[in-house]
Amino acid sequence: MTDAAARLRRPLWLRIYLGITLLLFLAAAAFGLVFSPRDVTQGDLIRIMYAHVSVAWIAFVAVGLTAVFGALYLWRGKRRDDVLAVASGEMGLFFASLTIIGGMTYSRPTLNTFWTWDAKLTLTAIMVALMVGYFIVRGLIDDPVRRGRVSAVVAIVAAASLPFNYLAAEWFRTLHPAKSVALDGSGVTMDATMLAVLLFNTVVAGLVYLGFMIDRVRLGRVEAALEEERSLAATRPAPVGKEVVRV
Amino acid sequence: MTAAPAGAGAPVGAGAPVGSGAAVPAGAPAAIELRGLVHGYGGPPVLAGIDLDVAVGRVVALHGPNGAGKTTLLRLLATRLRPVRGHARVLGHDVVRQAHEVRTRVATLPVYGGAYGALSGRENLRLGVALRGGDDDPGAVDRALERVGLIAAADHLVRAYSSGMRKRLALARLTLADAPVWLLDEPYAALDEQGQELVDALIAAARDDGRTVLVASHDLPRSLATADAVVEIAGGHLRVLARPTRAPTATATATAGTGAGADA
Amino acid sequence: MNDLHAVLWIARKDLLQEARSKAVTVATVFFSAVTLGVLAFAFGENPLLMREGAMGALWVALAFAGVISAAQSWQADLEDGALEALLAWPVPRAAVYLGKLLANWGLMTALGFVLLPLAGGLYGAAIGGNGETAPALVVAVLLGTIAAGTLGFALIAVFYAGLTANLRARESLLPVLMFPVVVPILLAAVRASNALVGSGDLDLAWAWLRLLVGFDLVYAVVCLVLFRFVVEA
Repeated sequence: MTDAAARLRRPLWLRIYLGITLLLFLAAAAFGLVFSPRDVTQGDLIRIMYAHVSVAWIAFVAVGLTAVFGALYLWRGKRRDDVLAVASGEMGLFFASLTIIGGMTYSRPTLNTFWTWDAKLTLTAIMVALMVGYFIVRGLIDDPVRRGRVSAVVAIVAAASLPFNYLAAEWFRTLHPAKSVALDGSGVTMDATMLAVLLFNTVVAGLVYLGFMIDRVRLGRVEAALEEERSLAATRPAPVGKEVVRV
Repeated sequence: MTAAPAGAGAPVGAGAPVGSGAAVPAGAPAAIELRGLVHGYGGPPVLAGIDLDVAVGRVVALHGPNGAGKTTLLRLLATRLRPVRGHARVLGHDVVRQAHEVRTRVATLPVYGGAYGALSGRENLRLGVALRGGDDDPGAVDRALERVGLIAAADHLVRAYSSGMRKRLALARLTLADAPVWLLDEPYAALDEQGQELVDALIAAARDDGRTVLVASHDLPRSLATADAVVEIAGGHLRVLARPTRAPTATATATAGTGAGADA
Repeated sequence: MNDLHAVLWIARKDLLQEARSKAVTVATVFFSAVTLGVLAFAFGENPLLMREGAMGALWVALAFAGVISAAQSWQADLEDGALEALLAWPVPRAAVYLGKLLANWGLMTALGFVLLPLAGGLYGAAIGGNGETAPALVVAVLLGTIAAGTLGFALIAVFYAGLTANLRARESLLPVLMFPVVVPILLAAVRASNALVGSGDLDLAWAWLRLLVGFDLVYAVVCLVLFRFVVEA
């Protein structure tokens, strides 16, 4: 087991990467909190938006990549694809939960309610429910191969529902599909500084995702190796090159 | 989706010479080939590296204590479990990569009947024949029911069958499948004396037809009387217990009464 | 053609079982009737609320009935290892899925056709006419909406019921897995039905129907391709 402990020690490059990411994260927060101008209509509340929107985008990417890695696992059967899928799935659940917290923080002062059936917030809530289902299924299957395959199927079915869920939630609010308008302000021109801050926040959120992924994948590989070792430990005494029983 | 014993291997038509290792041409795939087969997870493996060759046309009895892995081995061969390590081939076809080919060549007798309770015995058999891609032949279904002694109960729902009757129904389905490889999981369990003799007769007939039969059983005297070899699985490994009635090079003589077709 | 044959045999088997046990029919009919009644109480005595909520209540009842139906149909397969034996035969796994889907969809559509007038009567909602569209056409599109909506439910319910059939805690797990995926079906079906019942607005209903049909098409492909991983060892 000390072998596993040694493998879990983060190598220097990863520590440097995570350190830099932390610094960039602080910088992104500072940009949002200090350097960004106040919004014309929303005032200082716009500062929540930077963290919120960037985290939401990454949540989508993470859930989508869970399905992609799942599909790769079904296709190639390589254990590392399953490890990647789990890692991305956990990040997806984490970022989607953050998005909901952010959305509630945002809507309380602006709309005077913690929850609104806004299309994107609804979609994020559904995404959390989908990922919770994914992890429940994983927890119920002992055989690693079957666990990987069945959960990959769940991830793909879940991800395929996201476009439909988005369309339905968006149209449902506006009552009429044909009259649907973008309510997210994408038609509104954004101040160049604000856009830059948002993009920077998104890049940093992506780097955080990547850093967590790398760390989680390292852990997942050790987990997989241990699981395999345990299941094969008893086969070791099998005589090497013993004769085939012929009948 | 033909159910006929097609493709690879030695000819397996009725009356083909069987029981002789020398009769199988060199290079022809074994009926069953297991190499380094490992199965089981979250604990000691049930199968810890099995290496086995079963020649075409052989009847092999599989013994071992409860939980030793007999059913696991049969389910692996029936493509219903996948090996953790190693591989298993049936008539040259890999059970994982060529599962469909394997399924066309294998017929199973599950421990429990494996039939739908809400359907009658006859309906279950017709479903089985149809899903194996066979022709809907009421005559064949009737003959199979007749043979296992279920013709009177053919139109009763299987739900009302006793466990012995369910086993008989499974035997009828087995014969209808016309597969070159049979996997029988405890065929004698739940059967009366007459039913057990029926199993012996079916196995003998399968041998005459050149089928390969793997029988998981606890009945050593019966195995010694019917099988070409008795192997034991214990502790995840396999060993030969006995090669009773037919040595690998000897043709069938001991039970000439049932093997008459082959000897003629 | 052989595979189509297998699909029909599996569907026939499921329907034959259902015709004998009535397990799905009894459970779903009474369950959905109770759901309609309970929701009617929840709306109180407000006729306007009742009228507008009629289609919502109908689709909620159908969604839950879909879960029960799918779970029940796999339950019969698990008894005595019948499915295990069936899967050892050379049957394409997609054919097993399609057969069960056909049977389930048929039952759910029939249930929807029965519940529609029941919901209309209980909630005081009638087919609205705007003077331009013929009521017969509105009813036809409404029945089409029910067929498309129940197909969406059945696609996911049969798929996930097969997936959870071999897992622990399957009864509670199936709705947890299924409902987040079928939210679009529920929304689109309710809106399309409301448009038809309320005002006979075919254009509006058609816009939502497109979403339903799109969902059905995408998931028909996804589920057919992925099903073998659900039942494979």
